[in-house]
Amino acid sequence: MRFIVYLLYAALIALGLGLGLSYYALTDGRLVGARQIGPWLAWPETGGPHPDPYTRAYLARHGALQLGSSEGLRFVAETDSDGQPLDAACTYLVDGKTPTATLWTLSAVDPDGRNIAVSASLPYLDSYHLTRAADGSAMIAIGPNLVPGDWLEIAGTGAFRLVLRLYDTPIAGGRDWSSSEMPSITRGRCA
Amino acid sequence: MTRFVLWTLGGVFLGLIIHLIVILNLPRLANNDLWNRMAAIAEPGEIALLDAPAIGEGNPLELDPALAVAVCRLDLDDGPGIVSGRLPDDFWSVSVFNTDGIAFFSTTHRAATANRLNLGIFNPAQTRLLAERDIAEQSDFLLVESPGNQVFATVRLAPPHRAMLESYRKRLAELDCSNLPALPVVANEPPPAEGGAPVPAPPRQPQ
Repeated sequence: MRFIVYLLYAALIALGLGLGLSYYALTDGRLVGARQIGPWLAWPETGGPHPDPYTRAYLARHGALQLGSSEGLRFVAETDSDGQPLDAACTYLVDGKTPTATLWTLSAVDPDGRNIAVSASLPYLDSYHLTRAADGSAMIAIGPNLVPGDWLEIAGTGAFRLVLRLYDTPIAGGRDWSSSEMPSITRGRCA
Repeated sequence: MTRFVLWTLGGVFLGLIIHLIVILNLPRLANNDLWNRMAAIAEPGEIALLDAPAIGEGNPLELDPALAVAVCRLDLDDGPGIVSGRLPDDFWSVSVFNTDGIAFFSTTHRAATANRLNLGIFNPAQTRLLAERDIAEQSDFLLVESPGNQVFATVRLAPPHRAMLESYRKRLAELDCSNLPALPVVANEPPPAEGGAPVPAPPRQPQ
């Protein structure tokens, strides 16, 4: 009897650990293969010609059309710069410089990847149409409350993610990581 | 107590093995991966435009709502693949994927001459024939060697303003996505000398 109990115990550990580790390694919050700058996470291997086994499994599971490593790199932020999860009821300031890129776009999506912008005429912001400071930095507001300047209005409640896609950027190929800076994300007023 | 620890360690060891089996076998077992999605959208030898994700709708391909995206699926068994055409003077990029959804080649508008996309995708046997024909002399020709015959290429195009997205999608729809019936011949290629070595036959003759 004791043998069977031990056997079930070991099987539970094996299944829990095996499947749990696999699930963690294959979801977007994973840190396997991730590069992080502040609250921003990117997985450069997903666009490379020789991804590691974890990235191969991730690509197979998600079936997303990744950016090739020469095309650009997609960053995701699920928290602000203080580590607090992003909340669609709050307004956030995205402030600072981005790595060198020909173009970047910024959008807000819910945990299932649906765009939560309010206006169909402004579903994202891009680097072509921003007000910049003299040093090239930009300050963007994202949230439900009107803010002067560059503002991406979003709707909904609960967690959301910011997706920043940099196109034609040297860091997509693994260069300039150490000297790269990404904008900070600061929480403002919450509804 | 010793027995409990041993069973725990056994469970952990078995869990790690299960983890490795899942990770290593998932690419082979997945049936909703990128290749299957593209195969459902794009016919071989035809340009297919991907719909920009709308607000509030699912976006399984994780497309950027700012860009127009076209897909060209090719079977290199029908001859070398070509994706070509003139594009606007804005950012565009191209990637070539294999059946595992891996982008084994990618580049941007900066690799092109006069904003002309001229991409040739060849399998190893076709590449060998190309080398013998010295086609690399065509300066704007982007030559990509694919290990397998089943590939698809994506072309992303960024309009300078959102209002131009639809017109830029039309520009992508005008791209040529096809198989060459025979290897292209360089215009100034000298004819083979009398009695010289014969030119190797292309993998497939014109129909």
